[in-house]
Amino acid sequence: MLRLSFPVLHYRMSSKAQSSNNLNQARQTVQQLRLEARNERIKVSKASADLMNYCIECARTDPLLMGIPASENPFKEKKPCTIL
Amino acid sequence: MAAEKAEMDALKKECDGLRAQIEAARKAVNDTTMTAAANGVAPLGRVQLKLRKSLKGHLAKIYAMHWSEDSRQMVSASQDGKLLVWDTFTGNKLVAVPLKSAWVMSVAFSPSANLVASGGLDNICTVYNIKAASPKTLRELDAHTGYLSCCRFLSDSEILTASGDTTCVLWDLETGKQKMVYTNHIGDCMSLALSSDMNMFISGACDSLAKLWDLREGTCKQTFSGHTSDINAISFFPSGNAIITGSDDCSCKMYDLRSDQEVTDYTDATLNAGVTSLALSNSGRLIFAGYDDFNCHIWDSLKGEKVGVLSGHDNRVSCTGVPADGMGVCTGSWDSFLKLWN
Repeated sequence: MLRLSFPVLHYRMSSKAQSSNNLNQARQTVQQLRLEARNERIKVSKASADLMNYCIECARTDPLLMGIPASENPFKEKKPCTIL
Repeated sequence: MAAEKAEMDALKKECDGLRAQIEAARKAVNDTTMTAAANGVAPLGRVQLKLRKSLKGHLAKIYAMHWSEDSRQMVSASQDGKLLVWDTFTGNKLVAVPLKSAWVMSVAFSPSANLVASGGLDNICTVYNIKAASPKTLRELDAHTGYLSCCRFLSDSEILTASGDTTCVLWDLETGKQKMVYTNHIGDCMSLALSSDMNMFISGACDSLAKLWDLREGTCKQTFSGHTSDINAISFFPSGNAIITGSDDCSCKMYDLRSDQEVTDYTDATLNAGVTSLALSNSGRLIFAGYDDFNCHIWDSLKGEKVGVLSGHDNRVSCTGVPADGMGVCTGSWDSFLKLWN
Protein backbone atom coordinates (compact mmCIF):
# COMPACT_ATOMS: atom_id res chain seq x y z
CA MET A 1 0.00 0.00 0.00
CA LEU A 2 1.22 3.50 -0.72
CA ARG A 3 1.20 5.14 2.70
CA LEU A 4 0.60 8.86 2.40
CA SER A 5 -1.00 11.53 4.48
CA PHE A 6 -2.83 13.17 1.58
CA PRO A 7 -5.10 11.92 -1.27
CA VAL A 8 -3.74 10.95 -4.71
CA LEU A 9 -5.73 10.91 -7.99
CA HIS A 10 -6.09 7.74 -10.06
CA TYR A 11 -6.88 7.70 -13.78
CA ARG A 12 -9.06 5.23 -15.76
CA MET A 13 -8.35 4.00 -19.33
CA SER A 14 -10.94 4.01 -22.21
CA SER A 15 -12.65 0.62 -22.71
CA LYS A 16 -11.21 0.20 -26.24
CA ALA A 17 -7.68 0.70 -24.97
CA GLN A 18 -8.57 -1.67 -22.14
CA SER A 19 -9.57 -4.62 -24.42
CA SER A 20 -6.49 -4.28 -26.65
CA ASN A 21 -4.45 -4.05 -23.49
CA ASN A 22 -6.13 -7.19 -22.13
CA LEU A 23 -5.10 -9.22 -25.21
CA ASN A 24 -1.50 -8.03 -25.01
CA GLN A 25 -1.43 -8.73 -21.32
CA ALA A 26 -2.82 -12.24 -21.89
CA ARG A 27 -0.13 -12.95 -24.51
CA GLN A 28 2.58 -11.75 -22.13
CA THR A 29 1.14 -13.80 -19.27
CA VAL A 30 1.18 -17.00 -21.33
CA GLN A 31 4.73 -16.33 -22.55
CA GLN A 32 5.89 -15.81 -18.97
CA LEU A 33 4.12 -18.92 -17.67
CA ARG A 34 5.70 -21.04 -20.43
CA LEU A 35 9.12 -19.83 -19.25
CA GLU A 36 8.38 -20.46 -15.57
CA ALA A 37 6.88 -23.90 -16.19
CA ARG A 38 10.31 -25.03 -17.49
CA ASN A 39 12.11 -24.29 -14.19
CA GLU A 40 13.74 -27.18 -12.30
CA ARG A 41 12.59 -27.57 -8.69
CA ILE A 42 14.41 -29.24 -5.81
CA LYS A 43 12.73 -30.90 -2.83
CA VAL A 44 11.72 -28.58 0.01
CA SER A 45 13.45 -30.96 2.46
CA LYS A 46 16.78 -30.37 0.68
CA ALA A 47 16.17 -26.61 0.37
CA SER A 48 15.27 -26.38 4.08
CA ALA A 49 18.31 -28.41 5.12
CA ASP A 50 20.59 -26.07 3.16
CA LEU A 51 19.01 -22.96 4.72
CA MET A 52 19.29 -24.47 8.21
CA ASN A 53 22.93 -25.43 7.69
CA TYR A 54 23.72 -21.92 6.49
CA CYS A 55 22.16 -20.35 9.60
CA ILE A 56 23.91 -22.75 11.95
CA GLU A 57 27.33 -22.35 10.30
CA CYS A 58 27.06 -18.56 10.30
CA ALA A 59 25.58 -18.25 13.80
CA ARG A 60 28.98 -17.83 15.42
CA THR A 61 29.74 -14.76 13.29
CA ASP A 62 26.31 -13.16 13.68
CA PRO A 63 26.75 -10.36 16.27
CA LEU A 64 23.01 -10.05 16.87
CA LEU A 65 22.84 -13.73 17.87
CA MET A 66 26.10 -13.95 19.80
CA GLY A 67 25.88 -10.62 21.58
CA ILE A 68 28.44 -7.81 21.44
CA PRO A 69 30.85 -7.07 24.31
CA ALA A 70 30.35 -3.50 25.58
CA SER A 71 33.94 -2.55 24.70
CA GLU A 72 33.37 -3.50 21.04
CA ASN A 73 29.88 -2.08 20.64
CA PRO A 74 30.07 0.78 18.11
CA PHE A 75 26.58 2.11 18.92
CA LYS A 76 26.79 2.03 22.69
CA GLU A 77 26.75 5.51 24.25
CA LYS A 78 30.19 6.21 25.63
CA LYS A 79 29.82 7.70 29.08
CA PRO A 80 32.70 9.77 30.44
CA CYS A 81 34.60 8.16 33.33
CA THR A 82 35.44 9.97 36.52
CA ILE A 83 38.41 9.00 38.57
CA LEU A 84 37.45 9.01 42.24
CA MET B 1 -13.52 -8.92 -32.79
CA ALA B 2 -14.39 -12.64 -33.13
CA ALA B 3 -10.74 -13.45 -33.91
CA GLU B 4 -9.69 -11.50 -30.84
CA LYS B 5 -12.16 -13.34 -28.65
CA ALA B 6 -11.01 -16.71 -30.04
CA GLU B 7 -7.39 -15.86 -29.31
CA MET B 8 -8.31 -14.60 -25.84
CA ASP B 9 -10.12 -17.88 -25.09
CA ALA B 10 -7.19 -19.96 -26.34
CA LEU B 11 -4.73 -17.91 -24.29
CA LYS B 12 -6.87 -18.25 -21.18
CA LYS B 13 -7.05 -22.01 -21.66
CA GLU B 14 -3.27 -22.29 -22.08
CA CYS B 15 -2.77 -19.99 -19.09
CA ASP B 16 -4.93 -22.17 -16.84
CA GLY B 17 -3.12 -25.28 -18.06
CA LEU B 18 0.32 -23.82 -17.38
CA ARG B 19 -0.69 -22.60 -13.91
CA ALA B 20 -1.94 -26.10 -13.06
CA GLN B 21 1.31 -27.57 -14.40
CA ILE B 22 3.41 -25.25 -12.23
CA GLU B 23 1.30 -25.96 -9.14
CA ALA B 24 1.65 -29.69 -9.70
CA ALA B 25 5.43 -29.39 -10.11
CA ARG B 26 5.63 -27.39 -6.86
CA LYS B 27 3.47 -29.90 -5.04
CA ALA B 28 5.62 -32.77 -6.27
CA VAL B 29 8.65 -31.42 -4.38
CA ASN B 30 6.69 -30.23 -1.36
CA ASP B 31 7.78 -33.06 0.94
CA THR B 32 7.98 -30.94 4.13
CA THR B 33 7.83 -27.37 5.50
CA MET B 34 10.78 -25.34 6.78
CA THR B 35 9.24 -25.28 10.28
CA ALA B 36 8.90 -29.06 10.37
CA ALA B 37 12.42 -29.52 9.04
CA ALA B 38 13.74 -27.14 11.72
CA ASN B 39 12.17 -29.13 14.55
CA GLY B 40 15.54 -30.35 15.72
CA VAL B 41 17.15 -26.90 15.70
CA ALA B 42 17.67 -25.44 19.19
CA PRO B 43 15.21 -22.60 19.90
CA LEU B 44 16.65 -19.11 20.33
CA GLY B 45 14.84 -18.13 23.51
CA ARG B 46 13.92 -14.49 23.90
CA VAL B 47 16.03 -12.13 21.78
CA GLN B 48 16.41 -8.91 23.72
CA LEU B 49 18.14 -6.06 21.99
CA LYS B 50 18.74 -2.73 23.68
CA LEU B 51 18.08 0.71 22.32
CA ARG B 52 21.55 2.24 21.92
CA LYS B 53 20.78 5.55 20.21
CA SER B 54 17.82 7.66 19.16
CA LEU B 55 18.79 9.87 16.22
CA LYS B 56 16.92 13.12 16.32
CA GLY B 57 17.04 15.58 13.46
CA HIS B 58 14.22 15.09 11.01
CA LEU B 59 11.17 17.31 11.45
CA ALA B 60 8.59 15.02 9.87
CA LYS B 61 7.84 11.37 9.02
CA ILE B 62 10.81 9.24 8.01
CA TYR B 63 10.04 7.15 4.95
CA ALA B 64 13.31 5.38 4.18
CA MET B 65 16.84 4.66 5.34
CA HIS B 66 19.86 2.84 3.90
CA TRP B 67 23.20 1.82 5.42
CA SER B 68 26.49 2.62 3.74
CA GLU B 69 28.71 -0.41 3.08
CA ASP B 70 31.12 0.88 5.73
CA SER B 71 28.48 -0.07 8.35
CA ARG B 72 28.99 3.31 9.99
CA GLN B 73 27.30 5.93 7.82
CA MET B 74 23.60 5.78 7.15
CA VAL B 75 21.27 7.96 5.08
CA SER B 76 17.64 8.70 5.95
CA ALA B 77 14.84 10.41 4.02
CA SER B 78 11.96 12.37 5.48
CA GLN B 79 8.83 14.15 4.38
CA ASP B 80 10.50 17.27 5.83
CA GLY B 81 12.20 17.42 2.43
CA LYS B 82 15.67 16.40 3.54
CA LEU B 83 18.09 13.53 3.29
CA LEU B 84 20.38 13.27 6.31
CA VAL B 85 23.66 11.35 6.30
CA TRP B 86 24.52 10.19 9.82
CA ASP B 87 27.64 8.95 11.56
CA THR B 88 25.91 6.27 13.62
CA PHE B 89 28.92 5.80 15.95
CA THR B 90 28.70 9.38 17.24
CA GLY B 91 25.11 10.23 16.31
CA ASN B 92 26.37 13.27 14.36
CA LYS B 93 24.78 14.50 11.15
CA LEU B 94 27.42 14.63 8.41
CA VAL B 95 25.49 15.92 5.41
CA ALA B 96 22.05 17.41 4.81
CA VAL B 97 20.67 17.22 1.27
CA PRO B 98 17.70 19.50 0.57
CA LEU B 99 15.22 17.87 -1.82
CA LYS B 100 13.31 19.55 -4.66
CA SER B 101 10.30 17.41 -3.76
CA ALA B 102 9.48 16.67 -0.12
CA TRP B 103 7.40 13.60 -1.06
CA VAL B 104 10.30 11.18 -0.82
CA MET B 105 9.72 7.44 -0.52
CA SER B 106 13.12 5.87 -1.01
CA VAL B 107 16.80 6.54 -0.40
CA ALA B 108 19.99 4.66 -1.21
CA PHE B 109 23.75 4.87 -0.63
CA SER B 110 26.09 3.84 -3.44
CA PRO B 111 28.63 1.11 -2.50
CA SER B 112 31.43 3.71 -2.77
CA ALA B 113 29.49 6.09 -0.47
CA ASN B 114 30.22 8.92 -2.94
CA LEU B 115 26.60 9.08 -4.07
CA VAL B 116 23.12 8.94 -2.59
CA ALA B 117 19.85 8.66 -4.50
CA SER B 118 16.27 9.41 -3.58
CA GLY B 119 12.85 9.67 -5.16
CA GLY B 120 9.15 9.52 -4.47
CA LEU B 121 5.95 11.10 -5.73
CA ASP B 122 7.90 13.26 -8.19
CA ASN B 123 8.43 9.99 -10.20
CA ILE B 124 12.10 10.94 -10.47
CA CYS B 125 15.20 9.27 -9.04
CA THR B 126 17.68 12.04 -8.21
CA VAL B 127 21.32 11.14 -7.66
CA TYR B 128 23.50 13.41 -5.53
CA ASN B 129 27.26 13.61 -5.12
CA ILE B 130 27.73 14.03 -1.37
CA LYS B 131 31.52 14.14 -1.48
CA ALA B 132 31.46 17.57 -3.12
CA ALA B 133 31.86 20.66 -0.87
CA SER B 134 28.07 20.88 -0.77
CA PRO B 135 25.72 18.17 -2.11
CA LYS B 136 25.48 18.45 -5.89
CA THR B 137 22.75 16.95 -8.09
CA LEU B 138 24.49 14.55 -10.46
CA ARG B 139 21.51 13.19 -12.40
CA GLU B 140 17.73 13.38 -12.50
CA LEU B 141 16.45 10.04 -13.81
CA ASP B 142 13.07 10.96 -15.22
CA ALA B 143 11.13 8.34 -17.18
CA HIS B 144 8.91 6.51 -14.71
CA THR B 145 5.22 7.33 -15.05
CA GLY B 146 4.52 6.49 -11.44
CA TYR B 147 6.03 7.17 -8.02
CA LEU B 148 9.50 5.94 -7.15
CA SER B 149 9.12 3.39 -4.35
CA CYS B 150 12.66 1.99 -4.14
CA CYS B 151 16.14 2.52 -5.55
CA ARG B 152 19.43 0.61 -5.17
CA PHE B 153 22.88 1.35 -6.64
CA LEU B 154 24.89 -1.40 -8.33
CA SER B 155 27.88 0.95 -8.53
CA ASP B 156 28.55 4.65 -9.11
CA SER B 157 27.47 4.13 -12.72
CA GLU B 158 24.31 2.00 -12.46
CA ILE B 159 21.16 2.19 -10.37
CA LEU B 160 17.99 0.08 -10.22
CA THR B 161 14.61 1.64 -9.46
CA ALA B 162 11.14 0.28 -8.65
CA SER B 163 8.02 2.31 -9.42
CA GLY B 164 4.30 2.68 -8.91
CA ASP B 165 4.07 2.46 -12.74
CA THR B 166 4.58 -1.35 -12.19
CA THR B 167 8.05 -1.45 -13.76
CA CYS B 168 11.61 -1.63 -12.49
CA VAL B 169 14.35 0.12 -14.46
CA LEU B 170 18.14 -0.19 -14.69
CA TRP B 171 19.73 3.20 -15.40
CA ASP B 172 23.11 4.19 -16.77
CA LEU B 173 24.29 7.08 -14.59
CA GLU B 174 26.81 8.30 -17.15
CA THR B 175 24.13 8.95 -19.78
CA GLY B 176 21.09 9.24 -17.54
CA LYS B 177 19.27 6.80 -19.82
CA GLN B 178 17.31 3.59 -19.16
CA LYS B 179 19.43 0.48 -19.90
CA MET B 180 16.69 -2.04 -19.23
CA VAL B 181 13.02 -1.95 -18.32
CA TYR B 182 11.62 -4.89 -16.35
CA THR B 183 7.93 -5.35 -17.05
CA ASN B 184 5.77 -8.15 -15.69
CA HIS B 185 4.13 -6.95 -12.47
CA ILE B 186 0.49 -5.88 -12.75
CA GLY B 187 0.53 -3.75 -9.65
CA ASP B 188 2.69 -0.95 -8.22
CA CYS B 189 6.22 -2.15 -7.49
CA MET B 190 6.93 -1.35 -3.85
CA SER B 191 10.34 -2.80 -3.10
CA LEU B 192 13.42 -4.37 -4.63
CA ALA B 193 16.62 -6.10 -3.49
CA LEU B 194 19.83 -6.97 -5.36
CA SER B 195 21.53 -10.36 -5.16
CA SER B 196 25.06 -10.17 -3.76
CA ASP B 197 26.60 -10.99 -7.16
CA MET B 198 24.30 -8.39 -8.79
CA ASN B 199 23.23 -10.77 -11.55
CA MET B 200 19.69 -11.00 -10.19
CA PHE B 201 17.22 -8.92 -8.26
CA ILE B 202 13.85 -9.46 -6.61
CA SER B 203 10.82 -7.20 -6.55
CA GLY B 204 7.63 -7.11 -4.49
CA ALA B 205 4.47 -5.43 -5.73
CA CYS B 206 0.85 -4.50 -5.03
CA ASP B 207 -0.23 -7.46 -7.20
CA SER B 208 0.80 -9.52 -4.10
CA LEU B 209 3.56 -11.23 -6.12
CA ALA B 210 7.32 -11.39 -5.66
CA LYS B 211 9.44 -11.84 -8.77
CA LEU B 212 13.03 -12.90 -9.43
CA TRP B 213 14.67 -11.17 -12.41
CA ASP B 214 17.78 -11.77 -14.48
CA LEU B 215 19.28 -8.28 -14.32
CA ARG B 216 21.27 -8.43 -17.58
CA GLU B 217 18.73 -10.37 -19.70
CA GLY B 218 15.80 -8.31 -18.41
CA THR B 219 13.59 -11.35 -17.95
CA CYS B 220 11.45 -12.49 -15.05
CA LYS B 221 12.72 -15.94 -14.03
CA GLN B 222 10.33 -16.88 -11.23
CA THR B 223 7.10 -15.64 -9.68
CA PHE B 224 6.08 -16.28 -6.08
CA SER B 225 2.49 -16.06 -4.93
CA GLY B 226 0.79 -16.65 -1.58
CA HIS B 227 0.38 -13.20 -0.11
CA THR B 228 -3.16 -11.87 -0.13
CA SER B 229 -2.24 -8.21 -0.27
CA ASP B 230 0.50 -5.76 -1.33
CA ILE B 231 4.09 -6.80 -0.73
CA ASN B 232 5.84 -3.78 0.79
CA ALA B 233 9.23 -5.24 1.65
CA ILE B 234 11.56 -7.82 0.18
CA SER B 235 15.04 -9.15 0.94
CA PHE B 236 17.40 -11.98 -0.03
CA PHE B 237 18.32 -14.57 2.58
CA PRO B 238 22.13 -14.22 2.94
CA SER B 239 22.90 -17.54 1.22
CA GLY B 240 21.09 -16.20 -1.85
CA ASN B 241 18.85 -19.28 -2.10
CA ALA B 242 15.74 -17.82 -0.50
CA ILE B 243 13.83 -14.57 -0.29
CA ILE B 244 11.76 -13.01 2.49
CA THR B 245 8.74 -10.78 1.86
CA GLY B 246 6.60 -8.55 4.12
CA SER B 247 3.02 -7.65 3.24
CA ASP B 248 -0.07 -5.62 4.05
CA ASP B 249 -1.71 -9.00 4.79
CA CYS B 250 0.21 -8.78 8.12
CA SER B 251 2.51 -11.70 7.34
CA CYS B 252 6.06 -12.26 6.19
CA LYS B 253 6.92 -15.25 4.04
CA MET B 254 10.06 -17.11 3.05
CA TYR B 255 10.20 -18.50 -0.49
CA ASP B 256 12.98 -20.85 -1.52
CA LEU B 257 14.30 -20.09 -5.03
CA ARG B 258 15.32 -23.64 -5.88
CA SER B 259 12.04 -25.24 -4.70
CA ASP B 260 10.20 -22.36 -6.32
CA GLN B 261 7.68 -22.05 -3.46
CA GLU B 262 6.77 -20.70 -0.05
CA VAL B 263 8.55 -22.64 2.70
CA THR B 264 7.61 -20.61 5.79
CA ASP B 265 4.88 -18.21 6.80
CA TYR B 266 5.50 -15.77 9.65
CA THR B 267 2.11 -14.93 11.11
CA ASP B 268 0.80 -14.33 14.59
CA ALA B 269 -2.88 -14.11 15.54
CA THR B 270 -2.15 -11.08 17.72
CA LEU B 271 -0.38 -9.22 14.91
CA ASN B 272 -2.99 -7.37 12.88
CA ALA B 273 -0.80 -4.71 11.34
CA GLY B 274 0.75 -4.55 7.89
CA VAL B 275 4.47 -5.16 7.41
CA THR B 276 6.23 -2.07 6.07
CA SER B 277 9.88 -3.10 6.01
CA LEU B 278 12.26 -5.93 6.84
CA ALA B 279 15.94 -6.79 7.30
CA LEU B 280 17.85 -9.96 8.20
CA SER B 281 20.70 -10.55 10.63
CA ASN B 282 23.94 -11.75 9.02
CA SER B 283 23.32 -15.48 9.48
CA GLY B 284 19.74 -15.09 8.24
CA ARG B 285 18.42 -16.55 11.48
CA LEU B 286 16.71 -13.33 12.63
CA ILE B 287 14.15 -11.37 10.62
CA PHE B 288 13.51 -7.82 11.79
CA ALA B 289 10.12 -6.74 10.45
CA GLY B 290 8.71 -3.24 10.87
CA TYR B 291 4.94 -3.05 11.28
CA ASP B 292 2.17 -0.45 11.25
CA ASP B 293 1.67 -1.22 14.99
CA PHE B 294 4.70 1.01 15.82
CA ASN B 295 6.92 -2.00 16.56
CA CYS B 296 9.66 -3.97 14.86
CA HIS B 297 9.00 -7.64 15.60
CA ILE B 298 11.81 -10.20 15.53
CA TRP B 299 11.21 -13.63 13.96
CA ASP B 300 13.23 -16.86 14.08
CA SER B 301 13.47 -17.46 10.32
CA LEU B 302 13.91 -21.24 10.71
CA LYS B 303 11.29 -22.04 13.34
CA GLY B 304 8.78 -19.41 12.24
CA GLU B 305 8.33 -18.09 15.78
CA LYS B 306 8.25 -14.56 17.11
CA VAL B 307 11.29 -14.22 19.40
CA GLY B 308 11.41 -10.56 20.31
CA VAL B 309 10.28 -7.01 19.70
CA LEU B 310 11.90 -3.60 19.33
CA SER B 311 9.49 -1.20 21.02
CA GLY B 312 9.96 2.49 21.38
CA HIS B 313 8.61 4.31 18.36
CA ASP B 314 5.50 6.46 18.71
CA ASN B 315 4.27 5.85 15.19
CA ARG B 316 4.55 3.21 12.45
CA VAL B 317 8.00 1.79 11.70
CA SER B 318 8.51 2.66 8.03
CA CYS B 319 12.02 1.35 7.43
CA THR B 320 14.45 -1.18 8.85
CA GLY B 321 18.06 -1.97 8.01
CA VAL B 322 20.96 -4.10 9.20
CA PRO B 323 24.48 -2.91 8.22
CA ALA B 324 26.88 -5.16 6.29
CA ASP B 325 28.87 -6.07 9.43
CA GLY B 326 25.64 -7.16 11.15
CA MET B 327 26.42 -5.16 14.29
CA GLY B 328 22.93 -3.76 14.85
CA VAL B 329 19.52 -2.86 13.49
CA CYS B 330 18.29 0.58 12.55
CA THR B 331 14.57 1.38 12.59
CA GLY B 332 13.06 4.57 11.15
CA SER B 333 9.58 5.79 11.91
CA TRP B 334 6.81 8.24 11.13
CA ASP B 335 7.60 9.61 14.61
CA SER B 336 10.63 11.28 12.92
CA PHE B 337 13.24 9.28 14.84
CA LEU B 338 15.76 6.66 13.82
CA LYS B 339 16.73 4.17 16.49
CA LEU B 340 19.79 1.92 16.68
CA TRP B 341 19.51 -1.40 18.51
CA ASN B 342 21.81 -4.28 19.33
